[in-house]
Amino acid sequence: MKRTDVIVASLLAGVLAVASAEAQNVVKIGQIEAQTGANAIYGWMSSQGTALAVDEINKAGGFSVGGKTYTLQLIALDTRGEPKEASVQLKRLIEVDGAKYIFGPFLSNVFLAIRPYAAEFNGKILMWGGATRIHDYVGTPGHEFLMRTWNWDAGPNGFGELMVDQLVKQGVKKIALLYQNDQGGKVMEDIYVGMFKHKGIEARLDYFEPGTKDFSTVLAKIAAWKPDYLFPGYADSYIYDIVRQATETGQLKKFFLVRGSLGPGLKNKDALDEYVVYVPKYFEEAEKKDPKVQKFIKAYRDFYKRDFPYDQAPLCSSSCYDHVYMLVEAMKKAGTVDDPAAVKRALMAMTYEGLWRLRFDDKGEEIFNFDVVRLKKGGAIEVSHINPK
Amino acid sequence: MLSLVAGQVLNGAIVGSMYGIIALGITLTFGITGIVNFALGEFMMIGAYATFALAERGRLPYPVAVVPAALIAAAAGYVCNKAFFRFTRGNLVNGLLVSIGLISVFESAVLWYWSATPIEMHFVLPGALRLGDVSLPKMKLVVFAVIVVVIALTYAALAGTWLGRASFAYAQNAEAATLMGVHTERLVTAVMLYSTGLAGLGGALYASLYSLEPSLGGVYVLKGMEAAILGGIGSLMGSLWGGVILGVIEAVGSIFLPTAFRDAYGLAVLVAILLFRPAGLFGDES
Repeated sequence: MKRTDVIVASLLAGVLAVASAEAQNVVKIGQIEAQTGANAIYGWMSSQGTALAVDEINKAGGFSVGGKTYTLQLIALDTRGEPKEASVQLKRLIEVDGAKYIFGPFLSNVFLAIRPYAAEFNGKILMWGGATRIHDYVGTPGHEFLMRTWNWDAGPNGFGELMVDQLVKQGVKKIALLYQNDQGGKVMEDIYVGMFKHKGIEARLDYFEPGTKDFSTVLAKIAAWKPDYLFPGYADSYIYDIVRQATETGQLKKFFLVRGSLGPGLKNKDALDEYVVYVPKYFEEAEKKDPKVQKFIKAYRDFYKRDFPYDQAPLCSSSCYDHVYMLVEAMKKAGTVDDPAAVKRALMAMTYEGLWRLRFDDKGEEIFNFDVVRLKKGGAIEVSHINPK
Repeated sequence: MLSLVAGQVLNGAIVGSMYGIIALGITLTFGITGIVNFALGEFMMIGAYATFALAERGRLPYPVAVVPAALIAAAAGYVCNKAFFRFTRGNLVNGLLVSIGLISVFESAVLWYWSATPIEMHFVLPGALRLGDVSLPKMKLVVFAVIVVVIALTYAALAGTWLGRASFAYAQNAEAATLMGVHTERLVTAVMLYSTGLAGLGGALYASLYSLEPSLGGVYVLKGMEAAILGGIGSLMGSLWGGVILGVIEAVGSIFLPTAFRDAYGLAVLVAILLFRPAGLFGDES
């Protein structure tokens, strides 16, 4: 062997050894969210916050567990809300990339599609998702890998029940529910139709076909029923069209939302009377009071080099910025990065004080503080802060 | 109830006119050139996104943005005709395959650049006009008027000009038309340009009413196809009437039946009509 060959071989071996050592000190976080698509509203903002937190932690030199320093590698894949696509992506994350920590999904249709496959890795992975249907499985045998990063709608501490109670206090008698005819719409029906009935509010439910853009007919039908509020589903992709068309003709002017953003209300603020929406955080107000929120918004602007999306940002509480930091803290407490079951035990025992105050109930479902924003005609805003027990 | 029905008849007619403009493109391309262009919805989508880009990013006033947006769609149609469709004349299967390929390419391109997240333009003409208990958005009325004028002018141009007569002659017998001095290559190119431009105009008008998504064309090409078949392939005014009837059936049907099956009502009536009039309501039975 020539002398130069020996040198090249030695250098190559050295590079491979360093690369291998570095690879061993990387914790991979996989993410499957709809970053684009009609139902991207939650996944897009979640993936933004996750990438920002990973970048901050890595730039700060990583974190130490058991005397070793680790950095994070985020592998964020865009499901576009397609269950089939998400199934392939999850398989890749677990089997090819070897990610043990999976953030997402937020969408129930995606979760239901990937659940059987993910359950095969029970004990070997930890999945943090916001999907409502996770509520049905989290804490049940065979689903120890699962944690839900979103408040549950129903029950004494559920955000939906707390919001419906506000309607009861206002003396609301009739509410019209207008949902997309899909998995998300069925979830909403399951939760809210019974809840309204139980609380003494008469509810009327209409479904519309996915892809609908003209809501004139169904809105006219609903307006003829004279409800006190319209409760229009869960995704901005159609809520923008619904709120515009309802207010443009003056048929319906009061809206009640437990999902979706403040954006459609703000765009139509002069034509509506009231737009009540659950938001995990009303950032415009929080920015003025909370240094952590100020820091986050500045970091967002610097990282993405664009303005902070105030109307979308509240939705980033799910499997997002805070959760990356919380996961790292849990790894430190557990003393391992390789044992998702031990990390989960640490997570269940801790409270994380970030942008939100995050903790989990005994099933593994998150409890966090949130805001209810009441937008009035012309743009006046009232914010109520809710801290579930 | 009466005002609800009256309101939805008017609303259905307006929404149906949007189907009509696509139906006109379909009936022109298929009826005259024999080319099946299922990708017309994509040219509508191009027109819609081009309008958004010109009006929101380029700061052009909306009425000014509409014209170049339709021209951009027509230019895309011209390129597609030269590159693909001219090889599929008279061959339904090949035309269908090219269309499916183009749908995929155009949607992917828009997905790549704009993402699939819906975008919404500023309100061009906010507010509604009240007629008794019936309330109709002003912009919808403008859109309806524009579409009716465009379809009527198209009809007049085809019925009263040499080019129009040449088109009908070509549709009846391409070889004979060529022998009579009709430059068929130019004629087919002109029809493709016009039909894709019409779809682009439909998209530009759509952008003023609804939020935009890359898949918007898929829904409209199906509705346009239904409207063209209902009106009778080859009948220009039939395409407008087909669209209007379809829109009214969907709107009125949704009053009395669940809105979740809105699309099915139009299809059911279409099937029923075709049982008795296979050539459509205004089609040539011979």
